[in-house]
Amino acid sequence: MTLNLCILTPNRIVLDSEVKEIILSTNSGQIGVLPNHAPIATAIDTGILRIRLNDQWLTIALMGGFARMDNNEITILVNDAEKGSDIDPQEVQQALEIAEANLRKAEGKIQIIEANLALRQARTRVEAINAIS
Amino acid sequence: MAMAALRREGRRLAPLISPRTITAVRSSPLYPTLEDEGPLGVRHISTQVVRNRMKSVKNIQKITKAMKMVAASKLRAIQTKTENSRGLWQPFTALLGDLPSADVKKNVVVTISSDKGLCGGINSTSVKISKGLHKLNSATGPEKETKYVILGEKAKAQLVRDSKKDIELIITELQKNPLNYTQVSVLADEILKNVEYDALRIVFNKFQSVVSFVPTVSTVLSTEIVEREAESGGKLGDLDSYEVEGGETKGEILQNLAEFQFSCTMFNAVLENACSEQGARMSAMDSSSRNAGDMLDRLTLTYNRTRQASITTELIEIISGASALEG
Repeated sequence: MTLNLCILTPNRIVLDSEVKEIILSTNSGQIGVLPNHAPIATAIDTGILRIRLNDQWLTIALMGGFARMDNNEITILVNDAEKGSDIDPQEVQQALEIAEANLRKAEGKIQIIEANLALRQARTRVEAINAIS
Repeated sequence: MAMAALRREGRRLAPLISPRTITAVRSSPLYPTLEDEGPLGVRHISTQVVRNRMKSVKNIQKITKAMKMVAASKLRAIQTKTENSRGLWQPFTALLGDLPSADVKKNVVVTISSDKGLCGGINSTSVKISKGLHKLNSATGPEKETKYVILGEKAKAQLVRDSKKDIELIITELQKNPLNYTQVSVLADEILKNVEYDALRIVFNKFQSVVSFVPTVSTVLSTEIVEREAESGGKLGDLDSYEVEGGETKGEILQNLAEFQFSCTMFNAVLENACSEQGARMSAMDSSSRNAGDMLDRLTLTYNRTRQASITTELIEIISGASALEG
């Protein structure tokens, strides 16, 4: 029994394949989904999604969205998604440093919120790389 | 008939006629003539006028051909984006259903149109459908109200004329920057903040193919209506069977979901409409350059006839002048 997983972003379809198990992080914690799960609809926070196919784990960084699971079909709609294998470690390290620097010198509520968001996204991508290696 | 032509020319050339008829005849082509009606009622257009007309028609043909090429290239660029975004709103419809027949008190019609003209009839069809929706809703009851949110100059021009009091928000110059999701989601946010709604109906032209654009309406319901419909069973009945996680309350998640759904559907609608606009412009410019080509052919024939007529009259004058000298 496998799950049909489909990850969609506004710009493209990131993934469309069959997997054995997924672990995704929602606003209220991480949940693991195995085949024949009850139907759920949840909101996804900025975090990593782990997929297991054939005893191999893949990580994908997701930037917030929704997920819906019904009858062994999972649809994940997010604002942006990046496969762990597609992320360049150097670039992500730099992005992380820039985000941290921005947060330190951010003033005003809006800037702080934006900087926090950018930082979380950068951290997620770093985690995605580290989780594989 | 030759004598009649000669008489006509004679009237015009009266001041120039001298014993040296040959020079007088030679100066006739240089005499700038205008249209004039002879005694037989035959119009005598000069070649200069026809040539000017041909030049302007040729210019128009070139311009419309260039516009068609530009529209074709823009279409190609935006078509891939549109196809990618089509998959985005389908899961929402599968989960929450698309209920155009939902009975609601506060309807908001979001009309999407283009900013520039020369794109065929797509804007008029969108406006017609929006007006139709408005009428439909107000016909079913007095407490129902319909408001408009307008995107694009063309719909604004048409709707401001008769429905000014029903317009909530007008947004123009959408296509100044290339369309991307962030921009549209900010827009969707604005609309959701400023407008009270029970159901949002997005009117746009769906891009079926390069020659066919179908006006479509996408419905996004607010959370209260979704709950109401879910309880009453029917299509949304299975919504309750879903276990909703990831937040404090189910309502909060559904609210976020509805907003996300609206922004995704808006994104798709805006892209499809942009595609339809380019496609319609391509076909409009194509037919216009073809018409210009036809007109050019007809003008060329007229030009040749005029030219030959003036050569004939020249010859007649020469010959009759020469025979007058001999005889």
